[in-house]
Amino acid sequence: MADAAIEGHDHDERGFFTRWFMSTNHKDIGILYLFTAALMGFISVAFTVYMRLELMNPGVQYMCLEGARFIAQDVANCTPNGHLWNVLITGHGILMMFLVVIPALFGGFGNYFMPLQIGAPDMAFPRMNNLSYWMYVVACALAVASLLTPGGNDQLGSGVGWVLYAPLSTSEAGMSMDFAIFAVHMSGASSILGAINMITTFLNMRTPGMTLHKVPLFAWSIFVTAWLILLALPVLAGAITMLLTDRNFGTTFFDAAGGGDPVLYQHLLWFFGHPEVYIVVVPGFGIISHVIATFSRKPIFGYLPMVYAMVAIGALGFVVWAHHMYTVGMSLTQQSYFMLATMVIAVPTGIKIFSWIATMWGGSIEFKTPMLWAFGFLFLFTAGGVTGIVLSQAGIDRAYHDTYYVVAHFHYVMSLGAVFAIFAGIYFYLPKMSGRMYPEWAGKLHFWAMFIGANITFFPQHFLGRQGMPRRYIDYPEAFAYWNYVSSWGAFLSFASFLFFIGVMVWTLGWGRRVTEANPWNEYADTLEWTLPSPPPEHTFEILPKQEEWDKAHH
Amino acid sequence: MPIQRIDLTGRASDYPEALSTYSDTTPKWRVLLYPHRSLPATGFVWVIVLLSAGLALPLLGVFGTNVLWGVLPFMMLTVAATWYFIMRSYRDGQIVEELSLWNDQLTLVRVEPKGARKDWQANPYWVQVAERDEPVKHYLTLKGGPREVELGAFLSADERLELKTMLEREILQLA
Repeated sequence: MADAAIEGHDHDERGFFTRWFMSTNHKDIGILYLFTAALMGFISVAFTVYMRLELMNPGVQYMCLEGARFIAQDVANCTPNGHLWNVLITGHGILMMFLVVIPALFGGFGNYFMPLQIGAPDMAFPRMNNLSYWMYVVACALAVASLLTPGGNDQLGSGVGWVLYAPLSTSEAGMSMDFAIFAVHMSGASSILGAINMITTFLNMRTPGMTLHKVPLFAWSIFVTAWLILLALPVLAGAITMLLTDRNFGTTFFDAAGGGDPVLYQHLLWFFGHPEVYIVVVPGFGIISHVIATFSRKPIFGYLPMVYAMVAIGALGFVVWAHHMYTVGMSLTQQSYFMLATMVIAVPTGIKIFSWIATMWGGSIEFKTPMLWAFGFLFLFTAGGVTGIVLSQAGIDRAYHDTYYVVAHFHYVMSLGAVFAIFAGIYFYLPKMSGRMYPEWAGKLHFWAMFIGANITFFPQHFLGRQGMPRRYIDYPEAFAYWNYVSSWGAFLSFASFLFFIGVMVWTLGWGRRVTEANPWNEYADTLEWTLPSPPPEHTFEILPKQEEWDKAHH
Repeated sequence: MPIQRIDLTGRASDYPEALSTYSDTTPKWRVLLYPHRSLPATGFVWVIVLLSAGLALPLLGVFGTNVLWGVLPFMMLTVAATWYFIMRSYRDGQIVEELSLWNDQLTLVRVEPKGARKDWQANPYWVQVAERDEPVKHYLTLKGGPREVELGAFLSADERLELKTMLEREILQLA
């Protein structure tokens, strides 16, 4: 102990490679997550544009067996290539579910802001954090590799859907399917390690005085998400490992011919899969809470109910999985249970929605870009929730199962819910993370283009679903042409807004107006990250913050 | 508060877990210093119980089938990893410094996370509590013994300052 000095910590003297490739700093890792997720998101969105191009008109004009086209072909000269279509929907699903939204919200914002909000100097295990990130990169590489390796139908890639249902996935030829399974395994392992890290940090490194009932809502949302990951992903890992052995080692876990049960795979998958959709959206709840409180200039309404609503949503998420599979032949009692349990989720979700509205009630609302995105989230997530109640009814689901109504529903809650929350978070925290402010008009233009585009894309899909158009097909009868055409234009508008967003980010990071003050918004952005300079120094809260810095008594 | 004062008034003997003793007498003043940790031990129990119970739920459905063996290992791995890492987090923070003051001896005992123990003694008459702002703000060292040692490096700057004031006052009050 003789005058052992703590290492110096003043200036950032790391080289580019050391900083970004060997980083153990939670803020740098958060940024890495955000950029990687953006890249994966771009690939995944590009798939959808190509798919909407194909669906724009009846008949197959682009995805020809003679080769994929970028210019519309005569239908007569084009043999439909259903395999390519299937690969694209599978790729879009796997990328979005595992490698875009969760890494952006949980890995990106979670890593960056959860330790700051609880006043911790870093994550509990900084090197494991680095490991989680690089496992995620490996998962991305495997997922992309899966698209390009030999798969079924003597073509590249596998087209079994992101749920990897047996026996489709166990009989798909080629190694592409194995790559996809490995990708999901890797991202799962990465998420589990990340979740353990988050839980330990949250529980053990809160600054003195910050009891569980004083932790900011975003940190709480990350904590709840970490629990969902920890409870759900091991089940998925087991299920897809059995897929792997069924494929390669002759086991028959899911093969009826050998005494297995393919429906059991669906149960395992959805036992993971339903919590998964809350893993996707709960961190968004946290971000939206802070954005709405800040731009309404009021403390969040009903802090404790907000916390316990998230906990309740998480818990209920584990007991409703079979509403994804009403049509597999369950007993009436089972269906009644899952139907009622599913409807109960509307209660905590309603608590959240009404608390957000109550936060705005009587506040002085300022329509800055993050607030617009939060508004968009609120409106669209609620719309998606309402169709969720419709779909929860086992009888009605008979008609809607596997139609575009379902596609519209889950894109409203996830694409328009979670993704709007990501954008709200990006605009809200951009001045903090980069020390530069985006041009307000550009943020607003991006919002309106995306809001209108996304609604034009997905709202007509409700109509298509009600007309009975099934999902996951490359083509459709002439009768569905009108709304498909409209929907495609919506997708192009959304894509244009995404390209514009990339431009805004490049401009802001390179040439945007510098923001030096700790808090560019107002005093209702009152969590600890807003006490730090923008951008924050490499090391933060090495000296634990004092209670008066974060325990503001607005109430 | 990571500075815990051991209350010695009205007690005949010292507290039993004391790291240092001297001439079988109760010290005039004694504090324990340790890094801040926010999860109590019962919290750890809750985490493991909730995690195990939650993971057991899907197991009910596959109990008695082969599929149990496909899922169980991953769950056990998850529980084991969570257990290990939370314990590891406690252990990383298990530094204790015990500072005890007698009329003619000041003892500092430091126990490292892995159990290594270091001792330092000096006569308080010669002890100086030195403070400087390198490498961290209000960095404290004790001079006047066999070697210069750091004191409470894991505390926050304000706590170190408070500790310095307390210790200096106690030394001055010695007979």
